[in-house]
Amino acid sequence: MPYRTVDRRRTLAAAVLGRDTEAPRLTADDGMTLDAVSGEILDVSPHLIIVEDDDGEERRMVIAPWATAWHGASVAPADLPVGARVVIRALRSGTVVDRIWANITRMTGVILGITGKRDLTIELDCGPHRGRRTVVVPYRTSGRIRVRHPQLEPGYLFDAIGLMDAGTALAHIPATSQPPYRAKAVPPPPPAFRGVQSKISGAAAWGDFTEPGVTYPMLESADADCEDTGQSCAGLPYLAVGSMLFVRNVCDGRANALPIIGCGCIAGRFCDRCLECGTSPRGRLVELSATSYVELGGDLIKGCFNARVGLG
Amino acid sequence: MLSTIAAAALPILIAMLLLGGVAKLATADGDAEIGGLGRLGPAVLAPQRFRKAAMIGCALGELGLIAVLLLLPDQAVARWMPVAFFSVATYVLWDLRRRRPDVGCGCFGEVSAAPIGMRSIGRAAVLAAMAVIVAIESPGYAALSSWSWMTTAWLAGGIALVLLLSTEIEETVSRLRHRAPCEQRAIPAKRALSRLQSSSAWRSHVPMLVSDEPADMWRELCWRFFVFPARDGADVVFAVYLSGRRPAVKSAIVNADGRPITPLQESMHVSA
Repeated sequence: MPYRTVDRRRTLAAAVLGRDTEAPRLTADDGMTLDAVSGEILDVSPHLIIVEDDDGEERRMVIAPWATAWHGASVAPADLPVGARVVIRALRSGTVVDRIWANITRMTGVILGITGKRDLTIELDCGPHRGRRTVVVPYRTSGRIRVRHPQLEPGYLFDAIGLMDAGTALAHIPATSQPPYRAKAVPPPPPAFRGVQSKISGAAAWGDFTEPGVTYPMLESADADCEDTGQSCAGLPYLAVGSMLFVRNVCDGRANALPIIGCGCIAGRFCDRCLECGTSPRGRLVELSATSYVELGGDLIKGCFNARVGLG
Repeated sequence: MLSTIAAAALPILIAMLLLGGVAKLATADGDAEIGGLGRLGPAVLAPQRFRKAAMIGCALGELGLIAVLLLLPDQAVARWMPVAFFSVATYVLWDLRRRRPDVGCGCFGEVSAAPIGMRSIGRAAVLAAMAVIVAIESPGYAALSSWSWMTTAWLAGGIALVLLLSTEIEETVSRLRHRAPCEQRAIPAKRALSRLQSSSAWRSHVPMLVSDEPADMWRELCWRFFVFPARDGADVVFAVYLSGRRPAVKSAIVNADGRPITPLQESMHVSA
């Protein structure tokens, strides 16, 4: 079903139901977001990094003395290769670098096939909207991945964080403990005689997409153009592309209003918990873009944060 | 005769106030923060930070009225307080229906999430009428001592009338049947479209539509939205509530800039 713009949906819904067009403004009490910059390194020195961001603008940023970087492992920021794609957590209105993740990628999907003996090559189905991708689990990290993914077999879910190396995705860290069920056997949500909760708690993950916003699993299949949607064990209500969600990082106390930009068809199949600060209730509520995740105080090499979502 | 009706109306008023007060207190906590999924009652008209206090205040007021009805039947000012409460409630629901058609009345907390219709307003008016009779007769505790079969018959009639006007019954039944509230039930778009096409809102807007096929449709919580292209580049947007036998259908005409257009007959005031 085509739609002209997602913003138009909010305007029309507000007009017919008498709502405010603008989402309520967040205050400092709600938790201020950090700044995140995504782009490509043009030059880097121990104290300064020059990045071309996703809008094509050149940004010169001071590297804080305590800043660290990740490029497969912890490295000094000055050791990052020129040309690497980076996501930067920035302070002071986006001028001071606090943390850098370089060439980081997230591999979330359903295992379709596995080949190889030392280095494993895994074919993943990343959902109807993202297609298939091939990832490599190098021998040196396969032990770590297998501990958290005991069922490396077709039909089971896979979720790892890794590095893009010359076009190849190399899995380094497991992003979660693999759910014990097959991807098609997602547990049903608990019966909700009481009604939809005002706020829903669970886990928020990040995904490999750049557009700011979130993907959300509970879309009607007629609206999402796919049959795999509408699966979640968290008791989420049905929403649409264009709805605004308030996402709160419970661990860090930061909140933001983010638009739903797509179907989180695969995210909804993860009925896992996040253990970032305490144990979250079951279910992956949303998948944020890398920059939205960093803005809310998330660490990209940890796969999730405990989250609470409500409607904007 | 009037004293019999008053004796029958008193337990109904007390039961409604008790249920309403307790249910509101149970719901108030969840809707306090920005982004709460529940949108209930007149509290939505208050700024976000006062909503919880408004709901708790209303609940405590309802529980306080029970004490007034039972303990102070002889105080003239006190016994007219329930009348004032239900009369104001009737007006507020009427006004809320016009200003925020998407919110539920919240009369019994989150079970009353269905959009306010004539039944909810009618129920508040009936309760206001019962409160008037109780205020005139002021039975208090004494009503129990002079109980008769006629009082029981009036009580049964009153309960039946209140149940008939309660939309919460339908929602409770469908929750027990589907084990999920409306927001979590998959409901085919075709069903919502057929409900739309049998509504009066559709019949009044259909002459201005360019096409019978929706240009866009989407679902948010318990509402499904349909957008149809209209003449002069405007859009007609319909919102169909997805629960209940005769669900609410709201409509608006929005121009290309996103501003709602008021139809001519609605923009003209009736003159003497």
